[in-house]
Amino acid sequence: MTTSTAPLAAPTAVPGTEKPRTSKRQRGMERSTLLTVLLWLCAGYFVLPLFWLLIASTKDNADLFSTFGLWFGNRFALWENLVSVFTVRNGLFLQWVLNTVLYAGLSAVGASVLATTAGYAFAKYRFPGDKLLFSINLGAIMIPLTALALPTYLLFNSAGLTNTPWAVILPSLVSPFGVYLMRVYAADAISDSLIQAARVDGAGEFRIFWQVGFRLLGPGVVTVFLFALVATWNNYFLPLIMLNSSSLYPLTVGLAQQQAASAAGGGAQALFSTVITGSLVSIVPLIIAFLVLQRYWQAGLTTGGVKE
Amino acid sequence: MKKASTTAAAMAVLAGITGYMITGCSPAGSTTPAKDAAPVAREEFDKAMQTPTKLTFWTWLPDVDQEVALFEKKYPQIDVTVENVGQGGEHYQKVRTALKSGEGAPDVIQVEYQYISSFNLTDSLLDLRRYGADDIKDDYVGWAWNQVSDDKGVWAIPQDVGPMGNLYRKDLMEKAGLTKAPATYQEYADAAKAVKEKTGAYISNLPTNDPAQVVGLLWQAGVKPFGYDGDKTVSIDVNSAKAKEVLGYWQDLIQKDLVSVDADFNDQYYQGLASDKYAGWLTAAWAPIFLQGTAADTAGKWNAAPLPQWEAGQNVSGNWGGSSDAVLKTTKNPIAAAELAKFINHDDESTAMFANKQFLFPAAKSVLEDPAFTGKKVDFFGGQEVNKLFAGIADTVDTDFQWLPFTDFAYSSFNEKVGTVIGAKGDLGAALDAWQADLEGYAKDQGFTVK
Repeated sequence: MTTSTAPLAAPTAVPGTEKPRTSKRQRGMERSTLLTVLLWLCAGYFVLPLFWLLIASTKDNADLFSTFGLWFGNRFALWENLVSVFTVRNGLFLQWVLNTVLYAGLSAVGASVLATTAGYAFAKYRFPGDKLLFSINLGAIMIPLTALALPTYLLFNSAGLTNTPWAVILPSLVSPFGVYLMRVYAADAISDSLIQAARVDGAGEFRIFWQVGFRLLGPGVVTVFLFALVATWNNYFLPLIMLNSSSLYPLTVGLAQQQAASAAGGGAQALFSTVITGSLVSIVPLIIAFLVLQRYWQAGLTTGGVKE
Repeated sequence: MKKASTTAAAMAVLAGITGYMITGCSPAGSTTPAKDAAPVAREEFDKAMQTPTKLTFWTWLPDVDQEVALFEKKYPQIDVTVENVGQGGEHYQKVRTALKSGEGAPDVIQVEYQYISSFNLTDSLLDLRRYGADDIKDDYVGWAWNQVSDDKGVWAIPQDVGPMGNLYRKDLMEKAGLTKAPATYQEYADAAKAVKEKTGAYISNLPTNDPAQVVGLLWQAGVKPFGYDGDKTVSIDVNSAKAKEVLGYWQDLIQKDLVSVDADFNDQYYQGLASDKYAGWLTAAWAPIFLQGTAADTAGKWNAAPLPQWEAGQNVSGNWGGSSDAVLKTTKNPIAAAELAKFINHDDESTAMFANKQFLFPAAKSVLEDPAFTGKKVDFFGGQEVNKLFAGIADTVDTDFQWLPFTDFAYSSFNEKVGTVIGAKGDLGAALDAWQADLEGYAKDQGFTVK
């Protein structure tokens, strides 16, 4: 839960810190030095691996194992590595990218729609068993997807769905955390009087949800979307056990397989730099998704704040 | 082909768990009783090979499509789908899962020698004798054939092997005043001291996570740690006097800080190979190519030699790694599947391709005796004919080495009981005792009789 409130609360904190700039300048400075140092440390901690990835993907195999990890090697081989990423095994990497986009995209859209409808219903309707169902949902948050992967496999196997895209997409549509988040968000963002007003105006329940509720829930939906997108994009274990065909793999499993092939001993292909560059390429779409969606995310939050 | 799934040690444990869970919940795969039927007749064979057939082949060997294409060219009616479902532990886990679930199992699988008996335990492999495997027996080095067959049948066709030798940094050795590779382990220990003093490098590394290498070294010393009768009886003798002598030798070098104890096949290890941290590696025939990929900058500085010997004048080696191709009993097209396993590992063009394009070290004599293969001068090793050397070593591997039908467990147990002690530079004799006890306990739990 804390993971969700932190990003939601962060933008409101920013304008808050700006205010005392004129009056309590001295105290503000003091606090910010300490904070700045801490934040820089944090930023360094989180950015360092990324920086390493960026640097390492410009190296060939020889430089990778013989030069300092956090600075460029003797040769700048980024372009070669990129070419190798997209040509090795007849360009299977591109297929993996497309698979990942498909799995993560469908799962994220599906998960946000399902979580929004469910969250809205939990927040705004009273029905028999709502408390119980919601408690079950809360409990489900505690169970990691990895622990469910095996039972899910057995289920899908009896349904004959293993080794199909559905085996990855269907389980990823379920997002108990998303439901919880949307319930909390919907409870605050949509006032009961608004719904009442819509009812008086003669709108049906579905229309109220779709034309009134869903609009107001925008930022929450984007949050759930991003969570589901990242979760599916980075999911390794589920596709690993579900899929058997290289052409169906997402990036995570595909890259891991290439990495394993590099360390294979006999018959090995030294694909280390290819794997590393592939990893870099594989996170670029995620970064873009975040940068693009962040605007909606923050914009939505500030409008919500004003209304309050 | 690969050094046994070291990085996948955790995976192997997982594989075991998954295997059991799935066993519990799914209908058992169909296992038809093995019949010692007459060999497949010529007409039957021709008919099968001319019927449009789809085969699935699970292997992690890169670019194996090339060899499969040769097969499809010869038998245009057979359509083979090659799938890489993972490597080592993951691969076996998936095969077992598919067998248990009774659905989606491939026809032909790649299997490392040490895992063949695990699949025989579940009666999953097709006896290839009916399909002409016995006729090609003499075309492979004898010990490799012994690895894929027993008195009950022939279970796979050898694809590649890993006879062990000593790859060393000629330049560092020379700096330490050594002009040739140590012939005996006594000389090797002296060399280790000289190299460490003069260059600061370790003469080699004994990894904490690589049971396959240690087992290969035991194999060389004539230790017979494992045995399996194909039914319910196993013999476990990992703490024999000879085994303790071998590991005692390494313990001494480790405690004198002459041999390092890094985990292998990870970035740090590759850095050690590329820098001057290690002056050598007691490794297998697939390693010369592997080194060229990871330590490219040290090209020309390496040399290859046979392993040091325990007795002067001896000439024996062990094996580390290597693979074979087996046919699963569940296949609907046994004739075509068996022919695929045989063809890619027997056809001259195909085996030459494995050796010269994918750089597998061949098990087939035709390649081992082919001057085009053995005569190749390798620049990375200063122009040395490395293949010729290892082809010679391939003949010196002890022919009678066996495995347990639960290699996954034996290896993960090794890492826990022996590997950690290697890392701690502790008493390896006691570690072998602990490994022995762990293996015996497990075998009994699983209903085996321990001999």
